[in-house]
Formats: sequence, C-alpha cells, structure tokens
Amino acid sequence: MAEGEFYRAASPREAAGLLAQHGGAARVLAGGTDLMVAVNKRKFKPQVLIYLGDAGMSGISQEGEALLIGAATPLNEILASPLVADKAPLLATAIKQMASPAIRNAGTIGGNLANASPAADTATPLLVLGASLKLVGANGEREVPLAEFFTGPGQSVLAADEIIAQVKVPAQSAEAKWAYRKVGKRKAQSLSVVSVAIYCPLSGGKVGGAAIALGAVAPTPLLATEAAGLLNGKALDEATIAAAAKAAAEATSPIDDARGTAWYRKRASEAVVKQLLTELAG
Amino acid sequence: MSKVIGQRVTRYDGMAHVTGETKFVDDQVVPGTLTVKALRSPVSKGKIKNLDISAAEKMPGVAGIITAADVPCNAFGLVPDQPVLVNEDIRYRGEAIAAVAAVDEDAAMEALEKIGLDIEEQQAVLDPLEAMKEGAPQVRPEGNLQIWDGHDYRQVNLGDVDKAFEQADEIVESTHLHPSVEHAPMEPICSLAVPHAGPKLTIYTVSQALYFHLGMLCGILQMEPGSVHCKQWKAKTGSSWRHNTGYADLNYVGGTVGGGFGGKNDIMADHVAALLALKTGRPCKWRWTRAEDLLYSTFRGAWHITIKDAVTKQGRIIGRQMTSIRDAGSYASLNPYVVEKHCYLGAGPYFIPNVRVRGYCVYTNKPPASSMRGFGITPAAFATEVQMDQIADRLGMDPWEVRLTNAFRKGEYTPTKRVLGSVAMIEVLQNLAAKAGVELPGHLQAMASTQERG
Amino acid sequence: MHTLELTVNGQRHKVEVGLKTTLLEVLRDKLHITSPKVGCNTGDCGTCSVLLDGVLVRSCITNALSVQGKSVTTLEGITEPGDIHPLQKAFHEHYGSQCGFCTPGMILASKALLDVNPSPTRDEVKEALSGNLCRCTGYVKIIDSVLAAADEMKG
Repeated sequence: MAEGEFYRAASPREAAGLLAQHGGAARVLAGGTDLMVAVNKRKFKPQVLIYLGDAGMSGISQEGEALLIGAATPLNEILASPLVADKAPLLATAIKQMASPAIRNAGTIGGNLANASPAADTATPLLVLGASLKLVGANGEREVPLAEFFTGPGQSVLAADEIIAQVKVPAQSAEAKWAYRKVGKRKAQSLSVVSVAIYCPLSGGKVGGAAIALGAVAPTPLLATEAAGLLNGKALDEATIAAAAKAAAEATSPIDDARGTAWYRKRASEAVVKQLLTELAG
Repeated sequence: MSKVIGQRVTRYDGMAHVTGETKFVDDQVVPGTLTVKALRSPVSKGKIKNLDISAAEKMPGVAGIITAADVPCNAFGLVPDQPVLVNEDIRYRGEAIAAVAAVDEDAAMEALEKIGLDIEEQQAVLDPLEAMKEGAPQVRPEGNLQIWDGHDYRQVNLGDVDKAFEQADEIVESTHLHPSVEHAPMEPICSLAVPHAGPKLTIYTVSQALYFHLGMLCGILQMEPGSVHCKQWKAKTGSSWRHNTGYADLNYVGGTVGGGFGGKNDIMADHVAALLALKTGRPCKWRWTRAEDLLYSTFRGAWHITIKDAVTKQGRIIGRQMTSIRDAGSYASLNPYVVEKHCYLGAGPYFIPNVRVRGYCVYTNKPPASSMRGFGITPAAFATEVQMDQIADRLGMDPWEVRLTNAFRKGEYTPTKRVLGSVAMIEVLQNLAAKAGVELPGHLQAMASTQERG
Repeated sequence: MHTLELTVNGQRHKVEVGLKTTLLEVLRDKLHITSPKVGCNTGDCGTCSVLLDGVLVRSCITNALSVQGKSVTTLEGITEPGDIHPLQKAFHEHYGSQCGFCTPGMILASKALLDVNPSPTRDEVKEALSGNLCRCTGYVKIIDSVLAAADEMKG
C-alpha cells in the first residue's frame, strides 16, 4: 500500500509550489470536512496531502475599511469574530446556519469556496458584498472578484497549482440593509435547497447598488444582476419588490435533485426574494 | 406497595452509557479480527451466469471468500425463503452475492473488485400494484402474493358488510399511502464472529431477537439446536444467564443494542460473519456502512390502504371494508406476520359490527421489508384515524363526537370476535380533550365505557 | 507509514498512521478507546465527536496527521478516573440516554457548550447539539439533562 506524502506547508506559496510539483496526485487539506468525507466514501485515495493549518492562512484582520479573512480560518472563528460582526454581519448570519457546531469548528471558508458547490453557503453573502479572492500559485498571485470565480458545478478558475489564500470583503455602506434566508430540509446539517442573500444600500429612501445572490438554483452561486438592477433608484414598494423577485426567479436555472425539484426551486426563489425585500422595506 | 410502580427507577446500564463503558458489538476488541465486505448485486433482478472468486482469493491480505456454495443450509427466515448469499436468482439490488474476509478494509475492497461476476439482467417489478397484475415479473417461484389458507390475502370477516352498505346513510371512502420508513438506529448493522475449539463459535450480535435468530443460525450452520447457548451480555457487569445444555456449538452473545426499533429483528450479518469465521479460522467482523444500512437493512414497508365505510347520519360506522396492500420487498421476512396484525386491528378501537378486511402481502424486487414499531398496526392506525376525520367532515360532525360515538363499550367485540371485558377508549378521549383544552359537550362528557351503547 | 504523536485523555501516544487514517481510527483501532463510535463515517451523525484542544470536532473526518502534537479528550477523559462529571450524573438521572450509542458524542457536545456558556437557554442547548443525532430519546430528556447539569455546575 502506497504510503504517500504529508506536507505541512509554511505558507500559501509553499503549498502552491508543492501542488505544482506533485500535480494531480496532490490535494490541499485544511479542515477536511469535504475532503475526508470523499476519502472515507472511497471516492478517491490521497497520494499527497498538503496541510494548510500552519501556513499562516488563518485569522481575520482589517485593511483600511476592508475585511481580510484567511482562507484556512475555521467557520466558527469567523462567526465569533467581533470584526466580522461589525463589518460583515450578513456573512456571520449565513455561517451560523451552516452544518453544525463540530463541522464549523473544522471547516474553513476557503474550503467552502474552493469546493465550488452551487449551494456553497458562504458564496451568496460574499457575492452580494462584492468580495474578492487572493489566489496564490507557484509563481505568482492574483486577485479575482468572487463573481468571476465560479465556472460550473464544482468548478472554478483555480489553476492546478493555485489555492485560495485570502478572502477580501470591501467596506460596506453604513446605510445598507441586508437579509439572508436559507431554505433546507432541516434547520441544521442541511444542504441548501435555495439560499438567498440580499444587500441593499439605501440613500434618501432609494436603493442604490443593490445585490441579490441565490444559491443551489444554478450551476454556480448566482448573482441576479438584472433583478438587483430593477431595485436601483427606486423605493422598496410592492411593485418594485414583485418585479425584482420575478426577475430573480427568471435568472435561475435549477435542477431536480435529491433535495428538491426545479419546479419548487423556481417558486421558492421568487417567494424568498419577495419575503426578504418586504422585510427590508419594513 | 410496589418497589417499582410509581417510583423513579434508574437504568441498570445508565452509568455504563454515560461513562462510555458500554460495549457495543463494534467495540469488542479481538486480536486478529478480519474485516468483511460483501459483493452486492448491481441489478434488481437477474440470474448469475458466472461467479469467479479465484483471482480475488489470491489478493494480498485476503483470508477467505464465501459464496452460496459455502452455506450449509442456504435458506432462512420464519418462512425460510431467504438465502444467505444468492444462489442463482438475484431478487433485489444490493443483495449479497459473495463476502470477503481480509486483513483490512482496503484489502477487502480491492478483492471485491477482482471477483468475476456475469449477470443476465431481467425485468424487475418495483411497484406492488404492478406486481399484483397478471403477467408481472415473478419475484419468487411461488408468485408475487403471500398465500393464506388458499387465498392470496389475509382476511378478517365479521357480519355482512354488503348489507351494511345497503343500509348506510353515507358511504365514506378514502385511500391512504404510507411510505416506507427506515429505522436508522445510531448503531449500524454489525456482527463479530469468533471461532474457537469449543464452543465452536461465539457471535456478538446486534439482534433484538436472540432466540428467533439463535434457532435460525443453527439451521443455516447446521448446528444442533440443543447444543447452543444464548448469553445475555449486560452492559457493565458482564453477568449472564445461559441454558446449560452441555457442549455448545454456538455461543450467541447479545442484548446490548444501539437502537433497534424493529430494524434488528432479522439476521443480516451474523450468518455471513459466522461462515467466514468458520472458513478462515479467524475472528471476522462485518460492520455495515451507513449507506448499506440505509439501503439494504430491513425497514417498514410501504402500504396502500383503502377504507370504505357504511355510516349512519348519527355518525355510527355500521360496516367497514378495508383493503391493504403491503410492499414486502423480495422475501417474506416478518411481512406475513406484519400483515396479519394489521388486519386484526384494521377496525381500530371502534365497535363496527360488519367488517371485511383483506391484507395483501405483495413481493417486489426490492430489499425485504420487515418490522418496525407497531408491526403493521401503526400504518393501520394512521389510515383509520384519518378516515374518522373524513367521516366527521362528510357528516358535518365534530371529530371527537365521531370517535366517542363509535368507541368500544364494555362487552362489545373486535372483528375477530374477541369480547372486550375492560375498555377505556371513551375515558381516554375525555381525558385527552381536557388536557388539550377542548370542552366536550355534555352528552359526550356523560359517556362511559361501562354504559350500554345508546 | 507516518508517525503521529498526540495526547489522548492526558496520556501521550505515538502511533503509525497512513495518509488517509482518521482520528477515529487512531482512537478506536490503535488505542482501543471505544466511546467515540462509527455511526456514519461521513461527519453527519455526531457519534464520533471528540474534543480536539478543547474544541468539538468529528473524529471520523479528521485527518490523523493533521492533529500532530495536539490533545484529544474523549468521554473517558472528561474527569479524573473514578470521578463522575455533573453531565454524566445528569444524563443518568434525567434519562438522557437510552441505547447509549449517541451518548458519548452528546455529552462531549454538551461539555463543549457549557465550557463557553455556563447558562445556556433551551434554544442554545438545541443549537449546540444540532450536530448530534439521537433516534431513541426524542431529545427532550437530553436537553433536560444538559440544563440540569448546568444548574449543578453553577453551584
């Protein structure tokens, strides 16, 4: 039985270098809450593991008014952070409804994003907050807006030698309202059937720069730009809300799967967007 | 007074549970234990054309492989129709065809991949209503319906239901679909068999039914039923009781179960673990994965229940016809027993003088269904209680009144003509109403089980 | 094989593991500590829960080599030998355990809660135990047990 190599990367660059060196046989490991499930189910057998827990990729800090979250930061650490509570409460609200305490103690924000599930629960809040990712490769690094990161179910722009090193959440408008709802088959330990995050800056009672994101209703987490666009420059009245909700649902392309039907997801998308906007209207 | 009734009694195994001392089957540590994995059918129905274990047997770490040929008596069950390992005819997707004992999981899984298996797939039937039709694929040689006394249904007949329908003020019909339900105990199916010089074999089991299974295992293994003993394995003290029948071939150890609920009333792993232990001469443990447990362990089978009641304006049910179809899966298991109990209690706790219940036990190409909490009665209760509400709805009556009106009185009898000397349905409902904050009208409050029906 | 050094219930160990060995396999198969259970092996049921440097984790999906040098506490190690933790006493007296299979994970999840929140509300207990499944009790008596233990621990 092949033994395989276990590396403890001391930095994101070193981890990327090891990925480049070992090619397809290598995987990065942080909390392991997705990777080890696949290993236990015998979906794949690791040849090389590159551990990120000591790579200086954990922790939350500020850069000016922006929030910087290390990709290997466990979800519960993000949930407990006063910085996040202050600067990105929408993200904390979404994380609180993910999985369960034990999973959140180990699972990381970078792992959730890199897995690129269409239902990734950190994706929808980060999309509406305009987040970007620092990707580190063997020979350089780049910043990619999260809105350009996902390319398909389980697929992203990550090159074979790249890892997500950091998540950057830009400064938020003080006047912004936000809302989040996750629809699942259970209250905890539930993959989303539909999730919706809404970010709604207001100025003089009118919306400006709104964003609506939906999860689990398209091949990737979805920014419904047209729907959000219908809100801009308007007050949150019934007609505006109805139009935006309808447009959001039209932007989705859900499938039938074990958790729900496309039929249900289309309707739930419209209903939840409408509910949340109505709540924001107060 | 009583030392127990009305007193708080702590569990004898409580302390062992909260300290982690309680040992379940998987917690038994026996040095040299081999890991067992099974090759399962990928199709719902088919014939095995070729099964070749020769390459797998030579894989590193493999201690032994068994197939149907290794089973001394390859048919078991209350109705002994189920093979330990498939002979030739596959009856459900997931049915075990061969089993490997190897030094670890990797070796066992790699060996499974090397087993040569050719199957001629056949048309399967998965829906019980389809299985009842002429020309449906036959799940078993005896046909798709369990036979009782020359009928392909279990029946309970009382009085004259057709006459009741003629006399009725209203006929109320409803159809109920009750899905299959998996017990999903926290402890998955697991079995550890340890061979020794004498007794020949100890099996640590998750069985809820030690005596049922002891007898069945003796049959499978062809061991003398008189020469076995059954040891109740207590959580902490290890104290036990046993039949002293001299030299024992089979030492069957159980009683500490991580949740059963009727889902461990069938032999699922003990026979395979035992056979591999005897073949390899080494301890063999077969621990099912959660996926195997969810997919292939026994479960409460689905029901299709139709009730047709003859009802008077006053809400009295004077006749009931109930037709219940149980999806039994591919083997009898405890399904016939489940159907029988369902039929006896189909009328519910109500006095109905004319009853015709027919229960069909229908076989389909799916894993065998079996017992779960209530043994067939819970789905009957679900259907009959919804029916009571339907009756209330049709007559514009209060649902409490419909139930109280029809509830058993002392001296009345069940559809199987069992005279009831002591009943309390009326008092229970009155009590329940009070607890639920429902004020029953005077005439309902005045009812009593000991009063004759007015 | 790789060498893993870790502390379990206060005792240091050195074991040989492979790349895909889980912490649960180390505990059960190598150290014969059997209170953490194999309930699902996919991190869904909570019966494998242990405390890793005091933090609740799923040992069945924790890569063994990733806990190099760390400290693990299982149910066997939440008190000194011979002592009974208030949570253990409460689960026994309030019938928070029936078959016992979920109990080790439940008690550790409860301890993880009370370690940071000594006065939880009923809802907070439910939230903290949301990753631990039980098929026997219906959870009510488990929550009662945790609240009773919290009361006793406040003294």
